[in-house]
Amino acid sequence: MKKVRVGAGASGWPDFKDGALDVAENGDIDYISFDHLAELTMAIMQNQYAKNPERGYIPEVIPLMRSLLPIWKRKDKHFRMCSNGGGANPAVCADKVIELAAQLDIGAIKVGVITGDTLPLTKIDELEAKGWKFTNMDTGEDNLKDYRDRLLAAYVYIGADEIIQAYEQDANLVIGGRLSDNSLYIGNFMHPLGWKFEDEYIDRIGAGICVGHLLECSSWSAGTCSNLWEEISFPKGNPGFPIAEMYENGDCIVTKTDTSGGLVKSLTLKEHLVYEVHDPSNYIMPDGICDLTQIKLEDIGPNKVKVSKWGDKSRGKPRPENLKLCLAYNDGFISEEITVISGPKVFKQADKALDFVKKRLDFLGLKPREMLWSLVGWDSLSGPAAPPRPSEDNEPPELGIRVAFKCDTKEEAQQCRTECGHLCWGSLGVGAGFTNPPAIRPVFALYPTLIPREEVPLKLEIKEVK
Amino acid sequence: MAKKQVPIREIAWYRSGDKGDICNVGLMAKGEKQYEALKREVTPELIKACYKDWLKGSVTIYNMDNLQAIEIVMLGALGGGATKTLRVDQTGKAMCVGLSRMMIEVDESELG
Repeated sequence: MKKVRVGAGASGWPDFKDGALDVAENGDIDYISFDHLAELTMAIMQNQYAKNPERGYIPEVIPLMRSLLPIWKRKDKHFRMCSNGGGANPAVCADKVIELAAQLDIGAIKVGVITGDTLPLTKIDELEAKGWKFTNMDTGEDNLKDYRDRLLAAYVYIGADEIIQAYEQDANLVIGGRLSDNSLYIGNFMHPLGWKFEDEYIDRIGAGICVGHLLECSSWSAGTCSNLWEEISFPKGNPGFPIAEMYENGDCIVTKTDTSGGLVKSLTLKEHLVYEVHDPSNYIMPDGICDLTQIKLEDIGPNKVKVSKWGDKSRGKPRPENLKLCLAYNDGFISEEITVISGPKVFKQADKALDFVKKRLDFLGLKPREMLWSLVGWDSLSGPAAPPRPSEDNEPPELGIRVAFKCDTKEEAQQCRTECGHLCWGSLGVGAGFTNPPAIRPVFALYPTLIPREEVPLKLEIKEVK
Repeated sequence: MAKKQVPIREIAWYRSGDKGDICNVGLMAKGEKQYEALKREVTPELIKACYKDWLKGSVTIYNMDNLQAIEIVMLGALGGGATKTLRVDQTGKAMCVGLSRMMIEVDESELG
């Protein structure tokens, strides 16, 4: 049966660069994909691009390609590469990679550049004028007008169509912006296996979406961040990235190289199949909808898991008519301060410090929009779900306290932090650790919504060095 | 058979994550009997009692028979979401741990 080997190359920014290089060198791959974008990265990239048209892409792409392109050349330029590291500026990113290829004496290379996923804000107004409702997907509210004057950026999570077109035109490397994490992989299955966006392929595309999900977080399905951490080893400190051997019928074997650490086992994949999924019967991606309740996982050897069909139902459903659109807006500033209390009676001191902070905010007339008080080492991760406090005899010898403020202005955030966060040591028994607090950060908030597919003017350009 | 109170982590593996202000926790049963116990014992009420005022919205639980896992989806659970929250755990990766400590009642036969 026809098959293709697809490797994971990156998830987020930064990621282990050696993971990608190991897959390229030792993974016997036909395709490799790089996802560099977290939920908010595009807003940051767009902000950079607005200030400087030479920026706005993920800088990491360049050092990564500096190491990867020589491997690609040595492998007879066999495997194809796909990246969303172009961020808000895929064209310049592609130019920089082409310049780099020339410096490295790589020779001929064809780069497909996908643009159009970043929308001007006027497009939002235009669609609203035509009667389109930008309903907030998370809250169900139609209240975009409350944020319109604070909007910073608009970007659409796009699918694999242009990736496949680029491959059809023999692109070796595809660079785009907000290509959805999953689509970076779907293109790699659909192109070589001849799957189309037609009824007879819906089950297989569904299976591909599942496997794309398994690969898109790189080492996360190959033994990092795992319940099995005690039995997983990284002998050389190099986590492995997953590789999918996808067959024409949509069944697949997920594996990793022997040269890397980590583990691929049905549980490490299962951990990922339940990760960041909502309704598992409707895992909605630009290229289709996967029914994750129809997926079967089987260990078939060391670091080898077969991913196939569990029931009689289709693993997929037709792709949605609308695409996800993220609107980023300004939402004030966050400041924080962390200090460490020295025992004894760390909890009693922490409570006294909290009381001091609250009174001092009042005393100075400071009114942060929100404040969060956490005990690091006790409840900073779980909040009210933390266990009951121990008796004074069983207390830890020290305890971190962290206070965070959200304010409308940077000045107020600064004042809350310095006057109340930093100086709260004054209420403690022993002078505690003084460190530099993290920088005050602007809040870019997101309004997730939908946009009709046909309203997103995507463009593919092929740049070629002969 | 005797009944016993155990923390969820005794019968399930766990992982959590985020999408905006929505947090999801996947609980993966350690076996078939444990899956039955998970489906029976883990309810929206239990989840709300666990997270208290860190959980503002509704809770939906989906069963995944194929993986012997349940998927818990909680709205308004991350203090505004990764970019807005004041929490240390901005993306809810550790939210599963609090739930894993919650006590549930199981039959002793559901432990082995």
